[in-house]
Amino acid sequence: MMERQFLIVVTNEEILKLKVKKINFLFPVKDFSVGFLNTYKMENIDRMDSYLYMNRILDCEGIKKLEEELKKINKNIKGICFTDLGVIQIVKKLGLSLELIYMQSHNTTNASSINYYLDYVDSLLISTDITKKEMISILNQAKKPLVVPFFSLAEALYSRRTLLKNYQKHFNLLENQEELLIEKGTKKEFLAVENEFGTVLYAKKFIDYRDIEHENILYSFLNPMHLSLKELEKILNKEEISIDKDTGFLYQETYYQLKEEDHE
Amino acid sequence: MNKIELLAPAGDMEKLKIAFLYGADAVYCAGKRFGLRANANNFTLEELKKAVLFAHERNKKLYVTVNIIFHEKELEGLDSYLKQLDEINVDAIIASDIVVIKKVKKLGLNLEVHVSTQASILNSESALFYKELGVSRLVLAREANLKDIKEIKEKTNLELECFIHGAMCTSFSGRCVMSNYCTLRDANRGGCAQICRWTFQAGHNKEIFSMTPKDLNLIEYIKDLINIGVNSFKVEGRMRGIYYIATVIYVYRKIIEEIDKETLTEGKINYYLDILNRCANRDSTSQFLNGLPTEKEQYFLGRQELSNQDFLGLVLDYDEEKHIVTLEHRNYFKKGDVVEFFGPNLDPYTYKIEEIYDENDKLIEVSNHPKALIKLKVDIRLEKYDMMRIKMFDKKDYL
Repeated sequence: MMERQFLIVVTNEEILKLKVKKINFLFPVKDFSVGFLNTYKMENIDRMDSYLYMNRILDCEGIKKLEEELKKINKNIKGICFTDLGVIQIVKKLGLSLELIYMQSHNTTNASSINYYLDYVDSLLISTDITKKEMISILNQAKKPLVVPFFSLAEALYSRRTLLKNYQKHFNLLENQEELLIEKGTKKEFLAVENEFGTVLYAKKFIDYRDIEHENILYSFLNPMHLSLKELEKILNKEEISIDKDTGFLYQETYYQLKEEDHE
Repeated sequence: MNKIELLAPAGDMEKLKIAFLYGADAVYCAGKRFGLRANANNFTLEELKKAVLFAHERNKKLYVTVNIIFHEKELEGLDSYLKQLDEINVDAIIASDIVVIKKVKKLGLNLEVHVSTQASILNSESALFYKELGVSRLVLAREANLKDIKEIKEKTNLELECFIHGAMCTSFSGRCVMSNYCTLRDANRGGCAQICRWTFQAGHNKEIFSMTPKDLNLIEYIKDLINIGVNSFKVEGRMRGIYYIATVIYVYRKIIEEIDKETLTEGKINYYLDILNRCANRDSTSQFLNGLPTEKEQYFLGRQELSNQDFLGLVLDYDEEKHIVTLEHRNYFKKGDVVEFFGPNLDPYTYKIEEIYDENDKLIEVSNHPKALIKLKVDIRLEKYDMMRIKMFDKKDYL
């Protein structure tokens, strides 16, 4: 088994002090990312072998701006982790030799689709919406090494709407770009993070997928928002930590045909 | 004016017939598997076959949604299903998962592929990505504004389909799994429990709220959308009833005709808008078309849905000799009510109910039994599938 390599979103400056080996940093890029309060201007990302994180769905203005920005891209940038498929076209058009990693949280749920996407990109992030069995099956069949969730906040909703701003305006509350939302019936908690390009709701509990091991893994992915450096070090070393976490859908399958009680 | 397609939803065969009769050029529906309304009635393969025949006999089209995001186990049966859809001459499938798009090509099928709104296409470059995959049409994200739509059309020259009416997702379509987290029902395989319409509390704030968007309604922008090259106007609502489908399709058909004849006036738009608003159960707005929705385009306190009881009866038969119409009762009406008949070939016709007969020709004062057969004497010729509704608006007041 190869030594595990990590891909960690730089959600704050502290993370850059991590001393663990085999880390690749992923910088949320200003104007091209959502779900982060801390973002980086592309020209200020000067660390060697950095990845750009561009998880925004881009409108026409956004994609044009991206093309202009990528014309000036620094040589230290190793690759782009992106959501909008238009990024593939732009990188191709500009003839850039960047590693492309597709990161759409919900549509990489079977090996066939993943292998088709891999005709256009170097790797992609497997969805957090599937079981461990499905994930292993995908890793067995994928024609290129994949990125797997490791320990992360997982995206539950991405809206173009400024949901927090609208809510605060409606109730005359102070503006706040981050809020904990609790669904009243199920008591499920979601962390809402907003910028001018939309709102992301993360499931509040970190997903702990650390026991996924496979030889076809390129990177293990972490979005460590709100974790301290110490906690993060423990997580990377697979030590036990006492924070709110669960195993997401790894061991519980979702369904879609209603059961009898759902019809009530 | 280029040929404009009015595209209607249908959750079952009756709704499909109503949609076509009331002016839809094409209908989209789902089979029993692989559609995002897993809990609607949907169509068996045999019904899809009949639906294709019904459409093609009228020179119209039928599209089938194959738009779930596939997990490993759902892939079983996909190839044979696509082949079956091809064999029965479905005009196109609507897909978002790349595996479906690629399979159609790999299997050498004649099916056209339309990329679903689930793919969140908002810019010309992502549109070109799909064009290179060989698709013939894009259903744009509902977040696209006029400028985005225009540019995508100019740079891709692909057929564009835009939603013009109906419910909205809070998120980008396909980018929400709140339902998975709260109920284990997978939103991207057709099990969405609409958690965004449930109630939330934010931090320590006392105010509970929902994130329910108001509905979409682009009646005032149809001309603009035609001018920038939109080919197909799509109405949301495979779970809606026949009255809603008939009314909405009827109105948009009239609007498109009036634009074509250059007879559409502001007064007429207001008239049709009032009719649409009356049959909807939520308020509607233009949402993203002219900018970002604000707090005014959203509900905050639970579901604000009104029950509509305007639909009084469905015409089943008309006796031309006796001038007697037989209706199937839908909502309460009584002697003396002023109502309105409308239909595919009938402009709204005002009618005062003088006498009501039950199915045994017994004179009654009120009609209040669901699905009861009711007879009225009406002098104008009515046709099967015409409808009777409460009269609320008079077109001449708007002219």
